[in-house]
Amino acid sequence: MRWQLLALAASLAGLGVSIYLTVVHFSSVPLACPATAQINCEQVLSSAYGVIGGSGVPTSAAGIAWFAVSALLAAGRLSGRAQLARTQLAWSALGLLTVLFLVYVEIVQLGAICVWCSAAHVLVLLIFLICLPGAREGRVRP
Amino acid sequence: MSTRPQRTRPLRKPVSSTPPWVAPVAVVAAIALLVAAFLLIRWYTTPLPLPPLTVDATQQVVSSMTSLPASELDAVGTGSANNLIKRVAGSPLTGPNGHPEIFYMGAEYCPYCGAERWPMIIALSRFGTFTGLKTTSSSSTDIYPNTPTFTFHGATYTSQYVDFVSVETTDRNQNPLESPTAAQQALVNQYDTSGSIPFVDFGNRYAFSGAMYLPDVLSGMSWKAVADSLAQPTSPQAKAILGSANLITAAICRLTADQPATVCSSSAIQNIEKTLG
Repeated sequence: MRWQLLALAASLAGLGVSIYLTVVHFSSVPLACPATAQINCEQVLSSAYGVIGGSGVPTSAAGIAWFAVSALLAAGRLSGRAQLARTQLAWSALGLLTVLFLVYVEIVQLGAICVWCSAAHVLVLLIFLICLPGAREGRVRP
Repeated sequence: MSTRPQRTRPLRKPVSSTPPWVAPVAVVAAIALLVAAFLLIRWYTTPLPLPPLTVDATQQVVSSMTSLPASELDAVGTGSANNLIKRVAGSPLTGPNGHPEIFYMGAEYCPYCGAERWPMIIALSRFGTFTGLKTTSSSSTDIYPNTPTFTFHGATYTSQYVDFVSVETTDRNQNPLESPTAAQQALVNQYDTSGSIPFVDFGNRYAFSGAMYLPDVLSGMSWKAVADSLAQPTSPQAKAILGSANLITAAICRLTADQPATVCSSSAIQNIEKTLG
């Protein structure tokens, strides 16, 4: 249970980060982020990968949706619904695969790291790691 | 005859003895390896910068790009340049020789500064003369790596119309190079609230920050190749660089009361001036 509590906390923290990045995208609020050659949020967020498929929707909006679902799944597990374990594992695996792609984009394509994005990536990884042992609880023994 | 005792079958399958921490640690290790692989790919795929040109070769490139016929510049107009120039209201900025001052602040590592120096040199050369320009490239590790450009560090500019003052804060490896004075920093703070570079102030009448075109138009090109492409008004480089140069020229013409007339009275510059406000 305490692990699911941590998953819920990580989801809510990720939700906060994603909301912040989305608000910055749609407003003139300056982004609180150091700017060096390697660490540069502006460079990452203003790139073609900062929006979904060339639309005006920032990638962080997808983060809001992902962390919201993740929080709901963790809350479901906390309320005793062990059958959600596989769904939670699949959802977190989807998130982790997306994170790996975004990390590839940051390092290889853009050559810059966004610290806010990295914070969200670490939270996704944490949620996935929590789901690994937790998933066994929902597995039927042969 | 003896009989072997029958072995009893186990009632349950043996439970795996793998500790629970193995899977998370394996995942973290795999991700660490993947990130290391990404870093290696980045390292090996980043092209090396071209070696800087000699003084003579640099002079040839500068001469080629600053001696383009006015008719070609007029034909390009604003080209594909994005007009970033904004009107600002400040007390007139006067340079060390008593002329209206054009103040530039940028850095050698910055690819946007690298892109913007091309049109700045072309535009300013219509009002005066640069000496001591050197070739360099933007950072190899930043976006638009190794953008071919020049540096204003160590260069001098003379003109009977305007004064040009530049500050290149760091070299292409981000080592400190020049520092703005308190007054220059105050200008930047006042008109460049986003903190973007390059920042250019035209006598406190107009200012802009950022590049008027994306540096990828210069990607992989040598300085000579860029200079040669400017002779073709329909090339992407000419549309971007000469279009930006015309915008900068128009802003300078506003400072010099349209002097010299040979530059400022052209229909292209006059049309742009009207859009500057």
